[in-house]
Amino acid sequence: MATASTNRRRAIILLTLSSLILITLDLQNSTAVSGLRSVFGTFFRPVEGLTRVFTRPIGNAWFGITNYNDVLDENSFLRQQIAQQEGATVAAAASVRLSQELLALNGLPTLAGINAVTAQVIGESPTNFSQTIEINQGSESGIRVGMPVLNAAGLIGKITKVFENRAFVMLITDPDFGISVKVVSISRTTTATTVAKGTSATTSTAVPLEVSPFLPDSETTTTTSTTVPIAGFTATVTTLPSTPQGVTSITVPKTSALSVRETGALEGQGPSRQPTVRFVDNSVRFGDIDVGVPIVTAGGSRSLAPPDILIGNVSRVVERLGSSGPLLEIRLVADLSNLSFLRILLYQPITEKK
Amino acid sequence: MRLVLVLFFVLALQTTLFAQLRPFGVAGQMMLLFTACAGVTYGITIGTITGLVAGLMYDLTLATPLGIGSLALGVVGATAGIYLYFFPTPIWWLRIFAIAVASALGEIYFPIAQAMVGLDGWIQFRIIKVIAVVVVVNTLFAPGMLVVSRWVLSERKART
Repeated sequence: MATASTNRRRAIILLTLSSLILITLDLQNSTAVSGLRSVFGTFFRPVEGLTRVFTRPIGNAWFGITNYNDVLDENSFLRQQIAQQEGATVAAAASVRLSQELLALNGLPTLAGINAVTAQVIGESPTNFSQTIEINQGSESGIRVGMPVLNAAGLIGKITKVFENRAFVMLITDPDFGISVKVVSISRTTTATTVAKGTSATTSTAVPLEVSPFLPDSETTTTTSTTVPIAGFTATVTTLPSTPQGVTSITVPKTSALSVRETGALEGQGPSRQPTVRFVDNSVRFGDIDVGVPIVTAGGSRSLAPPDILIGNVSRVVERLGSSGPLLEIRLVADLSNLSFLRILLYQPITEKK
Repeated sequence: MRLVLVLFFVLALQTTLFAQLRPFGVAGQMMLLFTACAGVTYGITIGTITGLVAGLMYDLTLATPLGIGSLALGVVGATAGIYLYFFPTPIWWLRIFAIAVASALGEIYFPIAQAMVGLDGWIQFRIIKVIAVVVVVNTLFAPGMLVVSRWVLSERKART
């Protein structure tokens, strides 16, 4: 009896020490721990797959009972929404294409130029203290830790652990999630200065460059002619138009009329709270941030995501005293409760590339 | 060996059925329940060993650092085992009550263990909802899991 008790105590000490060592190794991203997880997965996945076959009908029955009315309501709402958005989608697609062409023309990176892998969600986190999902693509498809994960709406998270043919995605709502973002503040008044033919500057509400194909009838062109009578030389008359042919005026938009971008850090706050953006500069130029302003990824050489991936929009602005700047609560565009097919951008920042 | 094999199936249930069925967005915790049942039935030592093994297996399927769940469930097993000190003569309803209390404490130990390695942010008001749901779900499944844990650990007990 005493021997058994000693053995049990030894087992407890051994297991406790093993746990502490494993925590230390895992926090150092040890390959041994990843190997251990892979080996365990090799044995566990078939058992899990078999269990899933038997438990899926139970799960479906549960969802049928608990969500039937919600699904009906959602279905009718979505039909209505699809009808509304069909027209807008065509216009948006044209705008996106135009934007991508412009970016490509200027040698700027676009999301269209980044390879992506499509993956399916195969599991949710079984614990209540981790916002992760499991997908069915891994290192074999070129996925690496840190790559951004999107659904049709926008950014949903990033890859945190990769195995051969599966990976874990940390959702944007996880308190350990963080990414640099841009807050795109759009000016509502588009005041611009128009430089007309006369020397006087006038203020109008027109922003785009105005190019008229025809000269108006009332156009009066200033010409300069000088005639100097010199013996042996024929006088030449040079006429210079005051502006280029066909251009009546050039409109220069004020700097304040352009959309202003300010960077900040987005952090997850758990499943029951909206993510927040901190460290937004409280500058006069940027002005007040309105509710509904879009939030996109900032990009940059150190960011794990390329620029301009849509994340959400501002749902609440919490003003703070001092130089800390406002705290923004973000309404995500992606519905994290209903994830099925995802897109992983095979993007690595320059600093991460080997 | 029997313990590891049965824990394999309990873990599979956890990662499939109980990860899917989330009343009020909270998943029931079967590994936690199994550990609490072992502790309540066989005392601190066996409860702790069961918790450490179950937690280690659970950790291998999670994205959180390996070993955190092991320590958290180990403490849950020990906590549940204290029940036998106070009530050496088992009363069925008191045993289920002890399992419910151990389950509630387990859902507090887990975020605390995470916070100790820098994964903070989980200790929020939401934890009250999590505890309430986990306690209800685990109490419902406790009678069945008590039978399973007794069968699994009877071999270990018989040898000693």
